[in-house]
Amino acid sequence: MPMKLQKFETDEQLKIERIMYARRYSLTLDKRRCVVCELCEAVCPREAIRVVKPEDGEQAPPRLEIDVELCQYCGICNAVCPFGALELKINGEKTIPVVKFESFPRLIRDIKIDAEKCPVGCTVCMDTCPLKLITVKVVDEEGRPVENVDLYPEKERLKVTVEIEKEYCPVCRLCEYKCPYDAIHTQKIIYGHISVKNELCPEGCRECVEACPIPEALQISEDGRVVANDLFCVYCGACRIVCPVEGAISLERTVIRHTPVHSGAWNKALEKLTSTKGMAKELRSRALIKVKESVERRLA
Amino acid sequence: MSGEEPRIGVFVCHCGLNIAGVIDVEEVTEYAKTLPNVVYAVHNRYTCSDPGQDEIRKAIKEHNLNRVVVAACSPRLHEPTFRRCVAEAGLNPYLFEMANIREFSSWCHPSTPREATEKAKDLVRMAVAKARLLAPLKPLKVPVTRRALVLGGGIAGINAALDLAEMGFKVYLVEKKESIGGHMAQLDKTFPTLDCSICIEGPRMVDVARHPNIEIISYADLLSVEGYVGNFKVKVRKNPRYVIAENCTGCGECRDVCPIEFPNEWDMNMGVRRAIDIPFAQAVPLIYTINRDHCIECYKCVDACGARQAIDFSQEPEEVELEVGAIIVATGYDIYIPEEGNLYGYGRYSNVITALEFERLILAAGPTGGHVIRASDGKRPKSVALIQCVGSRDINKYEYCSGFCCMYTLKHAIQLKEHYGREVEVYVFYMDMRSNFKGYEEFYRRAREMGVTFIRGRVSSVIEDPETKNLIVRVEDIALGEPVEVEVELVVLATAAIPSKGSDEISRILNISRGADGFFMESHPKLKPIDTPVDGIFLAGACQGPKDIPYSVSQGCGAAARAATILSKEEWEIEPIIAVVDPTKCRNVKVKCGICATKCPYGAIKAPQGQPAQVITAMCHGCGTCAAECPADAITQMHFTDAQIFAQIRAALEENPEDKILGFLCNWCSYAGADLAGTSRFEYPPTLRPIRVMCSGRVDRDFVLEAFRLGAGMVLVAACHLPYDCHYISGNWRMKERMEVLARMLTKLGLSPERFRVDYISAAEGVKFAELITEMTRKLKELGRERIVAENQKLKPVLERMLSRKRRAKTGS
Ligand SMILES: Cc1cc2nc3c(=O)[nH]c(=O)nc-3n(C[C@H](O)[C@H](O)[C@H](O)COP(=O)(O)OP(=O)(O)OC[C@H]3O[C@@H](n4cnc5c(N)ncnc54)[C@H](O)[C@@H]3O)c2cc1C
Ligand code: SF4
Ligand code: SF4
Repeated sequence: MPMKLQKFETDEQLKIERIMYARRYSLTLDKRRCVVCELCEAVCPREAIRVVKPEDGEQAPPRLEIDVELCQYCGICNAVCPFGALELKINGEKTIPVVKFESFPRLIRDIKIDAEKCPVGCTVCMDTCPLKLITVKVVDEEGRPVENVDLYPEKERLKVTVEIEKEYCPVCRLCEYKCPYDAIHTQKIIYGHISVKNELCPEGCRECVEACPIPEALQISEDGRVVANDLFCVYCGACRIVCPVEGAISLERTVIRHTPVHSGAWNKALEKLTSTKGMAKELRSRALIKVKESVERRLA
Repeated sequence: MSGEEPRIGVFVCHCGLNIAGVIDVEEVTEYAKTLPNVVYAVHNRYTCSDPGQDEIRKAIKEHNLNRVVVAACSPRLHEPTFRRCVAEAGLNPYLFEMANIREFSSWCHPSTPREATEKAKDLVRMAVAKARLLAPLKPLKVPVTRRALVLGGGIAGINAALDLAEMGFKVYLVEKKESIGGHMAQLDKTFPTLDCSICIEGPRMVDVARHPNIEIISYADLLSVEGYVGNFKVKVRKNPRYVIAENCTGCGECRDVCPIEFPNEWDMNMGVRRAIDIPFAQAVPLIYTINRDHCIECYKCVDACGARQAIDFSQEPEEVELEVGAIIVATGYDIYIPEEGNLYGYGRYSNVITALEFERLILAAGPTGGHVIRASDGKRPKSVALIQCVGSRDINKYEYCSGFCCMYTLKHAIQLKEHYGREVEVYVFYMDMRSNFKGYEEFYRRAREMGVTFIRGRVSSVIEDPETKNLIVRVEDIALGEPVEVEVELVVLATAAIPSKGSDEISRILNISRGADGFFMESHPKLKPIDTPVDGIFLAGACQGPKDIPYSVSQGCGAAARAATILSKEEWEIEPIIAVVDPTKCRNVKVKCGICATKCPYGAIKAPQGQPAQVITAMCHGCGTCAAECPADAITQMHFTDAQIFAQIRAALEENPEDKILGFLCNWCSYAGADLAGTSRFEYPPTLRPIRVMCSGRVDRDFVLEAFRLGAGMVLVAACHLPYDCHYISGNWRMKERMEVLARMLTKLGLSPERFRVDYISAAEGVKFAELITEMTRKLKELGRERIVAENQKLKPVLERMLSRKRRAKTGS
């Protein structure tokens, strides 16, 4: 049996496979989670992932294409996606080779929840989460979920649990800001700066606002201007993908929080994701001489 | 030319009764005496015997002879003998000429002795005419670089390299892959003894690496080869491994930290390797290689390598130039992969695999740890079909037999039985079982005794059961004479062995030819199976045609011995029958010509702009194609000069030209075929007057024009068969192109097309030659003398005009 390269696509997912005699690789894109941003395309070392924009006149959102011939199942895209939309499996098991071999970091999703502070009945965070990743439950002493709080006799004995599906969370911090009880503390994965030059925007264009996965990050003000909010922006760049005018949105990533790693591949990814300024800072702070040299060589 | 007046001695041989029984040798001798410049003529019983040769030597001294003509047998037989003989008497060996009155007259015209005698007289006259114009020549000597290049490090190349190295010659072993070993390193066991393949090849590979006389240049491509026997200049590109060979200890620590896996070609893409890796554990040389197509440049390997500092991402391809005296090509074969998906379901059905994939499956170090399992479910198959001749012996794919498939199929059957005994049913579907050679038939019997089922017939189809993924093999069983269906769980295809990828490139670079099957062509299928038509280049192993290991090894050793015949000498002698350019006549000085350079089959001519063309003497093989092609007649082929051949033509057609067929026969095929007609005593009419040229490519259109100008009844140009038989690669093609144009022109001028014939006769086609001359003679008669004379009269003034330029030049000399 020769090696087989296959591709399947449905409305919900895009899956590619490399089937070898005794080894099977798959990479699945969950289209429901994918926001079609800039990140995976930028970091893929083989340029196997591409954002395909609709042809002129075509009424369709941009989408991701994965090249079965080019993908080598390294898992970099999987590691970098803040929305957890990509999943790599080898022989049916979830794995990210580049992370396993410490060639690539994991993103740090720093989310601390002090559910002690949560009063029974509050579901603000759950309602706020734009990606519906938070589940708030009320439980009794034994941890059993309580369906109808009002019927429960000793209300003071009830507790609140808050669960977040972390691996899919880009950490927009909306929940933290909306929480009335200061129960959630987060730190962003990516820091940076975003602004919109409204003078360049075509009349009535709303593309970026519609593409933005976080409603509060890009909004239309009362006077019809697009306003960007650094507070909630996750710097994924989905807005820039759809923006019809080059330079109307300026987006800069300065810091990416990740597990420690010493790797040229990561530096290359960083170089593509961040401004040179941000990157130089990271390198300085780490003083990775060899790696820095390699990057300088490439930049030269 | 020697300048002195020729003094020719003619020696007519009886050859016992072989000649004298038909031909009146007395008359021929007396006739010879009447020819210009002949000062001495005798006949004797056996000219080639010691007394016969003595007589020649004595006569040279006594009669002060400076040219010798022997009228006897074929020059293909005794020319070297008589050349030596005259040289012993102090004469230059090239001042000798033969008239072949045995094979070309007495033996083929026994029932017409009168005509045979007349023909013999003509042949002597032609030989004398040429002899008058002979010039002394010195054999060319070229120095020999006593090093060899072996191209391809399979088992054939390994053995060639080791043998040469043991003889004391420096060897460069150039391998395109990362490791030497070739296909043998991919195999599990080897027939018929079932010893582990890498266990017997591995030590040989290590011997190669350790041998002080061998330099392995692996992961390298052959770029160009220039030069000639004894003096080749070879350019090779070493591809970057991104690992410094000298620093790499082969520890593999880099591999362990590399995150990237990709399919391993060595494992038939069934297993994986890392972006920094070796193809297999026993690789030689043991140097890791980074595949930059896959590497993500994480530099984990750099860290792991640490102080050894073997990894160097800045490596660039490096070109090296090697000087060698001989080249052995051992580039092996490839396996046909039925990619179309329509051949027995390979590529479509998971449980259909190739035999080479099977080798990797059953190999303990293979991707499944030696477990024969199915790709569809990972389970061990309880029944296996081995299908033979897949792509081979199939006129729609590869017509030839791939040689070793029968034997390795038996091997696979036995291995399955040995591993799984009664738990596996094994079916072999075969057309013929070819188990010749030592120990092979016994191996076949062993398979039968182990309970393997043999079904004879070509499999018509393999169909998958979509549910079980089992396969239904359909065949017309020849023994039963009815269609049979067998359901099995795994199908193994013995796919054809095909020329290795890049063979066309290699044949272009080395100027060696390939047969219709695409494998490299040997110089002679029986007597020179290892030589190529290019001196100093030899073949070994499966690159010449599919071969098993013992045969490939023998050829490797044979090629080493053949190469050593050159390398062991300080100097190599080349026959001086080469081409020479007269710079004063060459047009290339004034206009852009260079025709000779493009027509030379060996690239032996350089024609730089504005300069006269130049023949690189040692590269010239002496076919004479350039001499015939040159529009300015600036090229002379030594010993086969225009003047000499014109003299032969004129001598041949001196009397009754209308009744004669003037034939130009190439030395290697058609002259040999004509010789064979003689030796086989095939009788044909005595109408032919043959002129021997080394290659049909030498036949100038002017020769043909001159023959018709002189009134020849017919002209024949006979060559080696197209497309690949020419001893000089493509001389016959050049002749064909030239003669086709000429034939059209002659027909337009009013020549009956039958009167000019181009044909192809191999050295084995004595019958065909006799039939050809018989047929031509019949047509000659049919046309009738009158018509021929009339045509000739009409043609003569035109041809005269066309040839005037040439004749002026010739009569002047
Ligand atoms: C499935 C299978 C099983 C077999 N089992 C057996 C067996 O049991 N017993 C047996 O006797 N035979 C067996 N054979 C046959 C065996 O493989 C061959 O006889 C043997 O490999 C021929 O050796 P070789 O050196 O001529 O060619 P190869 O093994 O093909 O080696 C050629 C080498 O040249 C290199 N090369 C190619 N092109 C170039 C180039 N342009 N420049 C530089 N290098 C180049 C290649 O990389 C390779 O290393 C089997 C074959 C198959 C397919
Ligand atoms: S740099 Fe390339 S070869 Fe080295 S460990 Fe990383 S991926 Fe592998
Ligand atoms: S064409 Fe033939 S004779 Fe002329 S240079 Fe080439 S090899 Fe020599």
